[in-house]
Amino acid sequence: MNVELTELTRKFGHTRAVAGVSLEAGPGVFGLLGPNGAGKTSLLRMMATVLPPTSGTLSLLGRDPGAYGPRREIRRRLGYLPQNLGYYPGFTVVDFVEYFALLKDMPPKQVPRAVAAAIEHVGLGGRARSKLRTLSGGMLRRVGIAQAIVNEPELLLLDEPTAGLDPEQRVSFRALLRDFGQRSTVIVSTHLVEDIAAACSEVMLMDAGRIVFHGTPGELIARGEGHDVGDAPLERGYSAVLAAARS
Amino acid sequence: MTGDELTGGREDLGGFGLGPPDVDLDRVWLGVAAQVWRRCPGPVERAAARMLRSPGLARALMTTPSLLIGWVLATVIVLIAGVGVTLGTGAPWVGVLAPALAAAGIAYAYGPGIDPAWELSQSMAVSDRMVLLVRALAVFGLNAAFGVAASAASGAAAAVTFGWLVPMTAICALALAAATVTRSPNVGVAAGWTAWVIAILSGMATDGKFTTAITDSAFVVPYLALAVCCGAVVLFATRIPRGAA
Repeated sequence: MNVELTELTRKFGHTRAVAGVSLEAGPGVFGLLGPNGAGKTSLLRMMATVLPPTSGTLSLLGRDPGAYGPRREIRRRLGYLPQNLGYYPGFTVVDFVEYFALLKDMPPKQVPRAVAAAIEHVGLGGRARSKLRTLSGGMLRRVGIAQAIVNEPELLLLDEPTAGLDPEQRVSFRALLRDFGQRSTVIVSTHLVEDIAAACSEVMLMDAGRIVFHGTPGELIARGEGHDVGDAPLERGYSAVLAAARS
Repeated sequence: MTGDELTGGREDLGGFGLGPPDVDLDRVWLGVAAQVWRRCPGPVERAAARMLRSPGLARALMTTPSLLIGWVLATVIVLIAGVGVTLGTGAPWVGVLAPALAAAGIAYAYGPGIDPAWELSQSMAVSDRMVLLVRALAVFGLNAAFGVAASAASGAAAAVTFGWLVPMTAICALALAAATVTRSPNVGVAAGWTAWVIAILSGMATDGKFTTAITDSAFVVPYLALAVCCGAVVLFATRIPRGAA
């Protein structure tokens, strides 16, 4: 298993952002759904080794991220796109992706080719030498995805990756997710249920810091049968599960 | 050749089937793109990569917010003004200004709120503590070099010229500690400057001269003690979180 979480909890003061999440995930694309404040971002940040848990156990790629050496190994094999991607306006697309390839400790000789491959993957070859300040929001999001995949990660964590992408780009992005999911564990936090339906083999629904549903998109759709809130079948399943969890 | 031209070129190759059938054009293209887009590090970055044995750390050093040209220029301008005032009045203004400038630079070497990609940097294999340490040393070294040059240009006495290095170390350590604990570079600058103003006013209260803070050897031990304490605070604030196991 690439991800093993047991009763993982994260508190901020008296607020429990993540309240006892247990999860096992191998290769595949996992969708993380939930309303604002459900704890999705905190859970992803813990899996990205940015935020230490308050309690519970966390094993990533078979290693304990609490110890320095194993955590460095995890980070070499990790791809992470945070919800708010900061960027250096004066950097070009190549500069930015290369910078994070180097910080991921990739062998310098492999970096130029890996950078070119990542930029091509997200369809930004024509803007490779453009300064980041000149790019649109959707393009910047794709730059963020490029830095996340530049090291061919075994664990890819994406927080709202499709925000700002146009429909055509989202279709390409889902294909990229499916491709990575064949050999890596991909966990995608999103509000867009279409992304889940099109790309994810499993879906987890979070509410109030807990996972209240874990199953296939088909199983989530089945939960929504007879429920009238939501336009699409997956939305009806989403609403039905949330309503049941809160009742 | 621009990226657009290159991409267009690849499409032409693929579209007209100019490549032999057993050649993977995508693979060839990636090799070409990798060579064309390859960034050539400057001499400073290459030297830093050799010294630090880490190209990632060297690149992080080159992105230090307080080493950007605007900050360096501002420091040079203030120190040149300090030289002018020192020559005009005979008072060692360079020594008084240098620690405050260095403290601000050191505080702005810290990530949150000033380094746009700080959250992402935290998930990287190269330790963010190492990045901070290297950035802080670089800013300190550069400011010290500027300060020594300005002091030499102002013709101040040797004791005054080098006297500010010890207070500068203490004030820089305090600014960095405040910035790391509060996760705010601006708080770091405010703490460093406030402490420096207090030190100068304390010196004035002692013998009526504002230069006492950089000339009185009685201050050396307290400065060094403060630097050590603040260094310990920085180490604690940037310790590797163990997480729960």
